[in-house]
Amino acid sequence: MQKYRRTIMWVGLVLIIILIVLSIYGAFIGAERAEQFFNHPPLVVYWTALVTLFIIGIAAFRRLVRVPGLLLIHAGCVLILAGGMWGSRVGHNLQKKLFGIDKIRSGRMAIYEGTSDNLVVLDGSREQKELPFSLKLKDFRIEYYKPAYLRIQIRQGGQWKIPVEAGKEFPLGDEAGTIKIVKAYENFKIGMEEGKSIPLDDPSPGSNPALEVQITEPGGQTSTQYVFELFPGHSHGQDKFLLSYRRVISDYISELQIIEDGKVVAEKNVEVNHPLRFGGYHFYQSSYDDKAFQYTVLQVVSDTGLYVVYAGYWMLCIGVIWHLWLRHIFTRIKSKST
Amino acid sequence: MEIKYTTQGLLVYMTITAYLLAFVAAVFRRTKAGHILYLSGFAIAVCSFGYRWYHVRHVPLQNLFEVFLCLGMIYPVTLFCRRVLRVGGYGADMLIGAIVLFPAGFVFNAEPQQLPPALQNWLFTPHVAVYMLSYIFMAKAAFQAICQLAGRNSRPGENLLPPEEATYRMIYAGFPLLTLGLILGSYWGKQAWGDYWGWDPKELWSLASWLVFVGYFHYRYMSGNKHPRINSLWAIAGMAAIIITLLWVNLSRIFSGLHSYAT
Repeated sequence: MQKYRRTIMWVGLVLIIILIVLSIYGAFIGAERAEQFFNHPPLVVYWTALVTLFIIGIAAFRRLVRVPGLLLIHAGCVLILAGGMWGSRVGHNLQKKLFGIDKIRSGRMAIYEGTSDNLVVLDGSREQKELPFSLKLKDFRIEYYKPAYLRIQIRQGGQWKIPVEAGKEFPLGDEAGTIKIVKAYENFKIGMEEGKSIPLDDPSPGSNPALEVQITEPGGQTSTQYVFELFPGHSHGQDKFLLSYRRVISDYISELQIIEDGKVVAEKNVEVNHPLRFGGYHFYQSSYDDKAFQYTVLQVVSDTGLYVVYAGYWMLCIGVIWHLWLRHIFTRIKSKST
Repeated sequence: MEIKYTTQGLLVYMTITAYLLAFVAAVFRRTKAGHILYLSGFAIAVCSFGYRWYHVRHVPLQNLFEVFLCLGMIYPVTLFCRRVLRVGGYGADMLIGAIVLFPAGFVFNAEPQQLPPALQNWLFTPHVAVYMLSYIFMAKAAFQAICQLAGRNSRPGENLLPPEEATYRMIYAGFPLLTLGLILGSYWGKQAWGDYWGWDPKELWSLASWLVFVGYFHYRYMSGNKHPRINSLWAIAGMAAIIITLLWVNLSRIFSGLHSYAT
């Protein structure tokens, strides 16, 4: 029995070393290829062997059952691996074959403002599948940190970063003069009025953020410049100032409604870090229409196996903390009190 | 490499100087002076971290500059290890403190950045903080492992553990934090990116680091103290994997991925 247990330990150690090597290899090939690599049939064999060894280990080593921390750690690892395998691409295919469960594992859906959709383009293919419910996009918007900043550089050296506040004048020193932000535009366009071209903030869909800046030279001459967020570094050779305008995005928000049998059954604003959970799927803010903000792109992910993985996480965490910390702390407290 | 002519830079340089002086004092057995300098260095490091926090208006753990600023506050771990866990390495910790602050002072970009949407999550601070704390324990473990390989032992009368046992104890202390960091990161990844495991280079290197310590525990369980050198090599390999996870993955273009913003 002793020899048998020793063999299990050695096999376990070899499997750990193999996984270290595979992880390092995976890190070098990039996330996309690594995912494919770790889902290849030989690797599926490896994962199955690892789970099997965990189970054999728990059965063979009485200590693993007797010591609660160790049991939690090892059983937690089994759950993480089992949940991960069940939720993987191979796991989804297996569920379809064995139980007829045809669930979308992961994909993306684009929804225009004011419309609803249930079509998901599956990841890694052009195939489309329908969800059993629809999602309607009420509104998509981007929020920015305030204030935004205008960066100013002069060719002779010297730079400033000033908050974008319309109407406020900022002194740039005796040699550079002053600068004033006259107006901030969300969608800058040039329009015609009485035969003259004038800048305007176009309310129609589109985005061209810009600043109208008035520069007053030390001699008193004033000039107007437009700084465009979408064209950083845009300047003329004779410009004394290099101006750049950049807003930092603080959030992407898709206001969504879930429609089932023609009725709105749920509503939620999907933001980064705040996905929507419904009908066995999670919906994440993934991308958007960066030209006119008219549509959002959501990532759709199946939750199959997820809660098994989470249960494993809890067990692993509690097990490790109990076994390596708490058990010793309690023993110390006990021995001090007696 | 550039010198930072800012209040933040000055605080970092003052901390490095205090730690280095403390190390010199420790080498020359000026224990009291060393301790005072080390404590002063820690106080400045806390001010530096607090100043950065005030300046960027979020917990400063976003990029390598801020993370290394945090790692520079090593003193409480030193004290805890010595008083509670009976693990030495006092002088080495002073040097570790100075070494980790060096890139913050001279290499990493200190330009304040606002948090991108993905980082605006309650898990941001605990995920990074537990990792940093575990890295300090594992660095101490690696130092003890090197001492074991070099045949150095604690001085008699110091009431400290021998290096091999000290390595084990440090890994015992750091491993739950490493596990927590990995799991919190995975849970956060699910909330932010849609998957609890994205096969990203940083994730894979952190898994590799975690697995090296798992390997250490299993090997040590099998062989006990029979092969202390191999035990030490596991601990050093674990620290090497951590350094790669923390630095190489973020700085090298080879490993571009979801964690690339953390440079």
